[in-house]
Amino acid sequence: MSWARWLAAFAVLAVLPFFLGNYYNDVYRKLLLWITLALGYNFLFGISGQVAFSHFAFYGVGAYSIVILLFQFSLPLPLAVLAGIALCIIVALAVAIPSARLEGFYLALATLALAQLFIVVLNEGGSVTGGTGGLTNYRLPDVLGMRISGPWYTVVIAALLVGTYAVLWRLDHSWFGRACRAVRDNPEAAAAMGINVARTKVIAFTLTSALAGVAGMVYAFVDNTVNPPIFGLENAFLILFMVIVGGAGRHAGAIVGAVLLFLLPFVLSPVIGHHHVLVFGVLVVAAILLQPRGLIGIYDELRRRLA
Amino acid sequence: MSSGAVLLEVRALTKRFGGLTAVSGLDFGLRQGEILGLIGPNGAGKSTTFNLIAGTYGADAGEIRFADEPILGLAPHGIAARGIIRTFQHNRPFGGMPVLDNVLVGAHTRFRSGLWRLVAGGGGGEERRQRRRAEELIEFVGLGGLEEADVGTLSFGQGRLLEIARALAGDPRVILFDEPAAGLTPSELERLGDIVRGIAARGIAVLLIEHDMRFLLPLAQRVVVLNFGAKIAEGPPHEVRRHPAVMEAYLGDAAAL
Repeated sequence: MSWARWLAAFAVLAVLPFFLGNYYNDVYRKLLLWITLALGYNFLFGISGQVAFSHFAFYGVGAYSIVILLFQFSLPLPLAVLAGIALCIIVALAVAIPSARLEGFYLALATLALAQLFIVVLNEGGSVTGGTGGLTNYRLPDVLGMRISGPWYTVVIAALLVGTYAVLWRLDHSWFGRACRAVRDNPEAAAAMGINVARTKVIAFTLTSALAGVAGMVYAFVDNTVNPPIFGLENAFLILFMVIVGGAGRHAGAIVGAVLLFLLPFVLSPVIGHHHVLVFGVLVVAAILLQPRGLIGIYDELRRRLA
Repeated sequence: MSSGAVLLEVRALTKRFGGLTAVSGLDFGLRQGEILGLIGPNGAGKSTTFNLIAGTYGADAGEIRFADEPILGLAPHGIAARGIIRTFQHNRPFGGMPVLDNVLVGAHTRFRSGLWRLVAGGGGGEERRQRRRAEELIEFVGLGGLEEADVGTLSFGQGRLLEIARALAGDPRVILFDEPAAGLTPSELERLGDIVRGIAARGIAVLLIEHDMRFLLPLAQRVVVLNFGAKIAEGPPHEVRRHPAVMEAYLGDAAAL
């Protein structure tokens, strides 16, 4: 897609918050963040075929590292962002390189262990991570003398979403995206086409993990607090559910899944309280059993029949 | 006929699986633009030889040289990137992609744009060029018009043709065909024969494992016969089929020759 279309998408998403009140601005920001995460996870899980549970942990690594680097190491913002990305890349490589040569099952285990370990580190991190209470009472440093807040910070999140989508879309529509799909579908045949299977997996994992980290950095200044429960396994599974229900392997599927599963609790909570998790469970099982291509698969099917 | 320089050279190649010697001291050379058949009874070591050349297995002894460089020990993707591309005995399409994208995966090693360039929105010219080439190859194998078709909707024979287009997309200098005729109808066989000749005419060296002698013998310029992992005969098809050792190896299966 051309720059003009990405800019147009950004303009639409960035204008909207100026018409929303405080409450809906907050809901909107989190919706955009979930879509960003789901798009990245879809590239990893749906397109690259890697079953990893660390995506949300990297979101947490990004969020915690930006706060720690800014306010405990007193780094300037650009440097803190770069250092945070570097940290995500190092952690991602440390997990991906040993796992890439093994079967997918071991990546699932390694990333599950990483996600759990991350929570332990957060809880036991003393004054650096703030322990169980996390870190709080901070705010985004001024950028070029300007304070970015309210709907203007939502504009930053819109830029994050569109930027992430543009990166993933372009990679997907290139030799790299095809290599990822080929490795997912048939690694042996992919290797016979000259594709370095392990390298392709490691790059996809590291790239999507770094993107999750960047999203986490942006998230850190949404609530101006980071604490361990946010980055627990519950949310790691929620992204997986979003991608499966929406339709794994399709960007539109990730978006539909994220919007649906993020907004569903708002609709269901007044009716059934916290039992909405049950509805999620039913949706995921139904998707896996009845419609492995997810909601976007149903849409494709309808379009084909009408055509 | 086999006039080009020797492109792929196999010397004293040996592969053991436990106590079984699957390939034993095998020597042969493959010339540019040549169609060389590799035949032998079941278990003779043909597929093992393929897997050794393609880097799927490591050898216990011997040497494989491609364009005067040793390639034994390279990973399969490294060997493919050097220009030795194999097809599989059973079609292995990438199911989640249309025909055109399958062929573009075959062109993987031809792409030069780095990831940063792609992220910045570059690489479009190269992508369009490779797409046009992929369309030409789809046309060449006779799948024209099916570029956007889901690979799941192809017939078995069409799937075989897709495998060939995909292999050609990597600009190979050597193609290894593992029983390409298996499961094809007579008219598809005829088409396949034309395609293989067309490939060799482009200067690509073709190594062909085949059970269907009616298909192979008119096609190959030279044949190497294996039995129990060792070469028992080599030469033009009409000589090899009368070779005593070959007749003995195929004893009781004379109709196959």
